[in-house]
Amino acid sequence: MKLNGSEIIAECLLEQGVDTVFGYPGGAVLNIYDALYKYSDKITHILSSHEQGAAHAADGYARTTGKCGVVIATSGPGATNLVTGIATAYMDSVPIVAITGNVTNDLLARDSFQEVDICGISMPITKHNFIVKDVKDLANVIRKAFKIAMSGRKGPVLIDIPKDVTGAMCEYEPVSPAAIVNPTVSDKANFETAAEIIAESERPMIYMGGGVVSADAEKEILEFAEKADCPVATSVMGLGGFPASHRLFMGTIGMHGGYETGKATDNCDLIITIGARFSDRVAGDREKFGKNAKIIQLDIDKAEINKNVKIDAYILGDLKYTLKTLTDTIKKAEHEDWLAQVNEWGKNSSVSETPRSDEYAHPYHVIEAVRKLTKDSDIIVTDVGQHQMWVSQKYRFEQPRTWCTSGGLGTMGYGLGAAVGSAVANPEKTVVLFTGDGSFHMNLNELATVRSYNLNIKVIVLNNTVLGMVRQWQKLFYGRRFSQTDPRRKTDFAKLAEAFGIKGMRIHNDDDAESVLNEAFSTKEPIVIDCRISPDENVLPMIPPGKTVDDLITEME
Amino acid sequence: MENKQIIGLLVHNHPGVLLRVTSLISRRGFNIDSLTVSPAGMDGYSRMTIRINGDDDKVEQFISQMLKIVDVKRAEVLPENGSVASELVLIKIGTDGHDNNEIIAVTAKYHASLVNIGEHSMTFRASGTPCEIDTFVAELDVYGIIEMARTGIAALENGDKSLSR
Repeated sequence: MKLNGSEIIAECLLEQGVDTVFGYPGGAVLNIYDALYKYSDKITHILSSHEQGAAHAADGYARTTGKCGVVIATSGPGATNLVTGIATAYMDSVPIVAITGNVTNDLLARDSFQEVDICGISMPITKHNFIVKDVKDLANVIRKAFKIAMSGRKGPVLIDIPKDVTGAMCEYEPVSPAAIVNPTVSDKANFETAAEIIAESERPMIYMGGGVVSADAEKEILEFAEKADCPVATSVMGLGGFPASHRLFMGTIGMHGGYETGKATDNCDLIITIGARFSDRVAGDREKFGKNAKIIQLDIDKAEINKNVKIDAYILGDLKYTLKTLTDTIKKAEHEDWLAQVNEWGKNSSVSETPRSDEYAHPYHVIEAVRKLTKDSDIIVTDVGQHQMWVSQKYRFEQPRTWCTSGGLGTMGYGLGAAVGSAVANPEKTVVLFTGDGSFHMNLNELATVRSYNLNIKVIVLNNTVLGMVRQWQKLFYGRRFSQTDPRRKTDFAKLAEAFGIKGMRIHNDDDAESVLNEAFSTKEPIVIDCRISPDENVLPMIPPGKTVDDLITEME
Repeated sequence: MENKQIIGLLVHNHPGVLLRVTSLISRRGFNIDSLTVSPAGMDGYSRMTIRINGDDDKVEQFISQMLKIVDVKRAEVLPENGSVASELVLIKIGTDGHDNNEIIAVTAKYHASLVNIGEHSMTFRASGTPCEIDTFVAELDVYGIIEMARTGIAALENGDKSLSR
């Protein structure tokens, strides 16, 4: 059948099973939005306040469902507003397809109104990108884009489409997508080598990351960890991939990880790294990381092998398959003494907590109170900063895809957009956004979106009135010179919420936290809670940048 | 061990592929010593020959990174002892105060051709291994090089092996 380019886009989205897209209209995508009008019974479009919010929403949608997120924006500023969202997805290997309009072919390269070379701009932050100059190529490019986004190590792909292409007529034949199969590169010998190293180890540990969640390999890692009898540390990205209630779970590893994960990393004789990439926030000192240990790495991306830390053996392929095969190859082990030692470290990880006061709520108290009100399947989203680390330390994640945070890029302002995408994708679940007053100020415009679609999002602003994480570093490393981290804002987040048509509430201290949260969680309505915490609250423990657990900071003024 | 290694890339001949390769090289902090692009003798493909500085780990990482580019089909080290590598140089020498015959005698050792004569200069063309070209250029340097253009390295692996297969 003959369709115009925009109808072909809609048909190709349907081919891929897409029923929800996020975006914002504009001149160069008028044709696409006209097609979305026509296809509105099959494709739901969620309108954001700002394209960045739409990009984060597509990301939150993808993280919480495992499906590919889709975001649409117009040319020029519409496209550039996606950049932070795409870069966030790229750093965390989140599959999204971004579709941008551009000026017509005859206006390209003439500095036309709202023209920008988004392919050039997005090259370093996408797995791949396309500009489609001929409608005949359009359908196949869209199919390729989804395949690239969802295969191997997942990630964002951008398709830039000049306006005339979205209006041009072309023959269209539906094609149903083939299942994506990631080939296993490693052979039997690689598995046997790894199994031998594991068999020799007396003090092994697992360091797992977001790759486990991305590969939907939560069952496989559980079976592996139990058979190998290894304590498990996760990166911030790996949370949810292994149940926090499990006897083998230690907690997060790295800069703000627990004392026991740091001690285990230093004292183990083997680190089995699974879907993780030794970022500087985990391996602060690359030379000393796991200095007494051999390192095995399981990953889907060859470029992660020997990138930051030297590896002794590796297995390449889809974790769902490689973990299962490795589990079948290893012998059942028991490491009673070693696990007891790890437990002992866990008990001794005394971090000095600030004294509770009437003036403020304590963040740990609020997070633990929220945990009591949420189901294991409910979704937790954060922005970036101290609140993000407190949640990563204290919220006990039991299930994969219940956790959305900007781990790699550290994008302040990520949270509310991602919460919108998570809530749209999971209408039966409660979505909790923990944010800080700094992060929330960046993109709180999406409260308008939360109201428009009446999303069940509980926004908890851990409001310390300062840019806490940067301030903490100024305390530690810059002689308490608090340069530009006390913005002296007087924003009343409860009133602000009311202005958007959303109920606002306040938590003043630990005493009223439970009652306020109980009320907030008793409805399906969106709610914003302004929760006052002390500006002097710190994230501890902390391994200073470039250091190891030997330099652990457990106390601060 | 820090050394120079030549890597052959077989890439889809799509617009922007050179930019994708070079921008990734720069982003990942590799130093390009030489880069050439040419048709690969296979429809729809180009061949890039890149020489970088780095130890074996760095080269392994380089290849892994290159293979992440969707348009890169193959990426392999062309081993120094198992490959032929050549480049071509055009070099313009100032002749004032020098004996032209002496210059010509020097260039003859390298089988260089005299391709142009100016009032105060001579231009030679020579080809050879990168090392031979380096020596040739160094030897002519004493006469004063006015300008020079080198094509960069082209290389193929010895024997029947091929990136295109």
